[in-house]
Amino acid sequence: MNLPNLSLADFLPLLPAIIMVVGASILLLSEVFLSTTASRAYQAVLTVVTAVAAGAMALTTMFEPPQEVMLGFGVLDPFSSFLTFVVCVGLTLATLSSVSFLRKRGAERGEFYALMLFASAGMSLLAMSNELITLFVNIEVLSLSTYALTSYLRRGTRPSEAGFKYFILGAFSSALLLYGAALLYGATGTTHLTAMAGPLSTAISSQPGLVYAGIILVIAGFAFKVAAVPFHMWTPDVYEGAPTPVTALMSAGVKAAAFAAMVRVFFMVGKGVDPQMLLGLFSVLAFLTMVAGNLLAIPQRNVKRMLAYSSIAHAGYLLVGVAALFVTGPGEQFRLLGASALTGGTPLDLARAEALRGILYYLLAYTFSAVGAFAIVSVLERREDEEKGTAWDLERFSGLAQRKPGWAFAMAAFMLSLGGIPPTIGFMSKLLIFQAAVDAGLIGLTIVGVLSSAVGIYYYLRVVVYMFMRPVPEGAQALEKSWSTELALVLSTAAVVILGIIPGPIMGWLEQASSIFGQ
Amino acid sequence: MSFFDNHLLNLVVFLPLVFAALVALLPAGEHGQIRTITFIAMVVDLVFGVWAYMTYVPGGPEFQLEYRARWFDLFGTSYHVGVDGLAVSLLLLTVFLGPLVVLASTTYIKFRIKEFHLALLVLQTTMLGALVSLDVLLFYIFFEAMLIPMYLLVGVWGAEDRQMAAVKFFLYTLAGSLLMLVAIIAVYFISAPVGARSFDYASIYNGLLDANRQLSACTAGPAGACDSLTGLAATLYTWGPWLFAAFAIAFAVKVPMWPLHTWLPDAHVQAPVAGSMILAGVTLKMGTFGFWRYAIPFFPVATQQARPFLATLAVIGIVYGALMCLAQRDIKKLIAYSSVSHLGYCMLGILAITAEGATGSAYQMLNHGVSTGALFLLFGYLYERRHSRLMADYGGIAKVMPVFTAAFVIITFSSIAVPGTNGFIGEFLVLLGTFKSDLGEAAGNPHLTAVFGAFATLGVILGAAYMLWMVQKVFFGGITHRENQHLTDMNLREGLTVLPFIVLVAVMGLQPQPFLDRLEPSTDRFLARARVGTPGAELQEDRLRVEVMALPSRQVVAAPSAPVPLAAAPAVPSPRQ
Repeated sequence: MNLPNLSLADFLPLLPAIIMVVGASILLLSEVFLSTTASRAYQAVLTVVTAVAAGAMALTTMFEPPQEVMLGFGVLDPFSSFLTFVVCVGLTLATLSSVSFLRKRGAERGEFYALMLFASAGMSLLAMSNELITLFVNIEVLSLSTYALTSYLRRGTRPSEAGFKYFILGAFSSALLLYGAALLYGATGTTHLTAMAGPLSTAISSQPGLVYAGIILVIAGFAFKVAAVPFHMWTPDVYEGAPTPVTALMSAGVKAAAFAAMVRVFFMVGKGVDPQMLLGLFSVLAFLTMVAGNLLAIPQRNVKRMLAYSSIAHAGYLLVGVAALFVTGPGEQFRLLGASALTGGTPLDLARAEALRGILYYLLAYTFSAVGAFAIVSVLERREDEEKGTAWDLERFSGLAQRKPGWAFAMAAFMLSLGGIPPTIGFMSKLLIFQAAVDAGLIGLTIVGVLSSAVGIYYYLRVVVYMFMRPVPEGAQALEKSWSTELALVLSTAAVVILGIIPGPIMGWLEQASSIFGQ
Repeated sequence: MSFFDNHLLNLVVFLPLVFAALVALLPAGEHGQIRTITFIAMVVDLVFGVWAYMTYVPGGPEFQLEYRARWFDLFGTSYHVGVDGLAVSLLLLTVFLGPLVVLASTTYIKFRIKEFHLALLVLQTTMLGALVSLDVLLFYIFFEAMLIPMYLLVGVWGAEDRQMAAVKFFLYTLAGSLLMLVAIIAVYFISAPVGARSFDYASIYNGLLDANRQLSACTAGPAGACDSLTGLAATLYTWGPWLFAAFAIAFAVKVPMWPLHTWLPDAHVQAPVAGSMILAGVTLKMGTFGFWRYAIPFFPVATQQARPFLATLAVIGIVYGALMCLAQRDIKKLIAYSSVSHLGYCMLGILAITAEGATGSAYQMLNHGVSTGALFLLFGYLYERRHSRLMADYGGIAKVMPVFTAAFVIITFSSIAVPGTNGFIGEFLVLLGTFKSDLGEAAGNPHLTAVFGAFATLGVILGAAYMLWMVQKVFFGGITHRENQHLTDMNLREGLTVLPFIVLVAVMGLQPQPFLDRLEPSTDRFLARARVGTPGAELQEDRLRVEVMALPSRQVVAAPSAPVPLAAAPAVPSPRQ
């Protein structure tokens, strides 16, 4: 057996992930030397510093051309760099909001932050994976960390239930993914995505069943991870049961990384098989996810569950962007809808770049809005209400505008951003996705998208109604303040509002980020 | 063009927002300071708004006081503002209402003063922004952002059913405009090839113009002539009606046109005085303004096809609104339904596509802002004293509140278009325009024009009936309720808020020319553009194309250093040349 000869420089592209792993190891090791009562404030600071460093490192690679790294098992392209940046943003905000959350529950431990970092390292690597086994390993790295994080507060019944459910279903979906990958390997003889397109196009005529089964199983596996309908059943329970900052990281980071991997896999697979089939599959998934996610969110009085369903709905909008990747060409675009082409449109590579940009910007926008919203949920919940299930009831938001105008303003901004109302980042990102979808000719899907987002406004506005238009409940307890949560809220609110008005440097990165390896 | 002129519109639009930031910094308990600063902001904004109005040269280029800067290049949009005659007139109306709304609310709003004034200032910015936007996406952003402060005004400071009304208002308007967003994106893609695409008004309009003309020419031809169309014209042939429908529904909800009006009575009735005044005064005009600026010029052929239908809805709105008024016992609801009726005239005037109709409609937009704004204001004062909206609770008010009654009656005259008031000119022109229009031909029978006109005229009569009936029941006769015997007449502050309205009613009624001068160039251009869809109409080439300033190149990000002379402004590069 000959081991590959890797120099130090070969590891440089992985630096963001390496930084996070090193940070996590330091946190774990330092925990050994601490007594149970020692102050652990530095741990959150260290996590944030690590996350910021990793994010900054990802930005430095943003303008490098796409290239294979680690012998082709991974790739470094602006797409993955931007995604690592998104993950680091989510990690930073989630960490900041977890400090007071953990302290209130007496659960501040290095493991928590270390697991968050491991999970994020897995997400970053997942976005870079260019080979099916590597991809699977990275999915497991991030999943195992999040399973553990979900049941981190192991004393209650809810976290154990959530953790168990998440583990069983997660393992099941990983198995599906692995099985699909095995079938694809059987059909093509390679696990490298780059090398797969050629053999796929011959295999599809000789062994169509094998290829289709493989593709469908892989899609199903990813659909579990991104919580697309009908593979979404686990989401509300797990999101509700997990500690709120973990839910925030899950909704932002795990989803972002899974979407990135899905895009990369099917971008490559799409070169070998008929893109029309992928377009159809993803359109159906997107349709179901948008409609069901939004409709199921309406009856929720529990804000945390509502946000869980809303995260399903947002996966639906993102899937519209994914579907838009598989346009085959001007003129062909409208066949699916039975309509004629709007115009002899955009060249294919440009249309795809639009879709990629839309997906990435949407992930960033969703990270800011959702993590911010979960941060507000986490400061309002009280431990003693959790078993009763009223910790996240809408009533907790009553009169928030009078008690904490700043928080109410922030939450209103997050809700409007999630609902896609200008002038917020949520609107701009939705616009970009729908722009890509219209250009791809997915008019029907776009109309379903905007109408279901109008439905979405209803339940987002309900939170605003409670905050601004209901009186403060009798005997409401004073709300605790913590500098770190406030910081997370200020950062995310500023991002949500300002990025909706001022383009800023992010637009430059985004323009770049649409270049994906193998384009 | 000086630096000041270049930035005048930016100043007018964002001044309230800057003051909002100032108000946000004040402690919540400082009610007096908050009110004063908001009032000052509105007055200063009024001064700059009047300045903009006076600076606008009626005979000059279509869009004046333009400013354009790079903004979200990746999306194909730029920050582009400028005004034509109609926009600058509506802008004047908006800044005119601003300080009066603040004054009118000093005693009406008793709690959460700071948030209230913040909402007012933000609302002012969004409304002005929507009026001056020359980029369709920018317009959409302001158009939607307007909903948030208005939603809070209705939902927090409204009457008993405020939450239901606020949510209904928000969802109704939003659902309509989201479809328009899809249409805007679609129009963005079809109007120009890759590289030249832009959400800019001129780029989209000019991009669609030639195709619209081809399409119009073939619809005049024999059946099947349109099947041979190619390119953009063919696309517009298939998709144009749908795109027009998406625009039209969004604006029709806002106007509101029957049968999409049901949010309006709720929102108006539940809203506080300030909310009703702004809602009636300005936000409803966004609907008619949208038809005028976007929906009709973009899709003249689809407009031509839909005209009889839309005009029928407008006429139904006129008569239905008036009949609903006759059935009301709630005064505020009556004023709300009268808005449905009045806005029906505005729509009918626009759809007539005659010089009289369009001018009358534009004038009526201003009139309605003045007269209905004043009615809501006056009723708000009455409500503050008596806390009832029911007509039955009043009667004989003229004996205890003579000055108030006089003011109310004058405004009522304006609302029912008594000659000598502003309302007369607007409604008369709309009716004249309707009778002279080709609505009947468009509907397939020339005699139908007279039917449209007759029903609209019936609306005028009904309008006089319900308003006078209401005035009689509330103000005249004996005092039937003991509580009403000791009502106090208007105080100085209240009188000062009402006076500007009365002055405007008289000035606009007796001296309409200065106002009409500014509306005229817009009317001419609107007619020229709308007639593209009329088969066989003579086109005035010089009024068709939209000419605006070019996008500053990438190096000058913040501001164009050398002001572009407007008259010689190069047209935005058209893909079809």
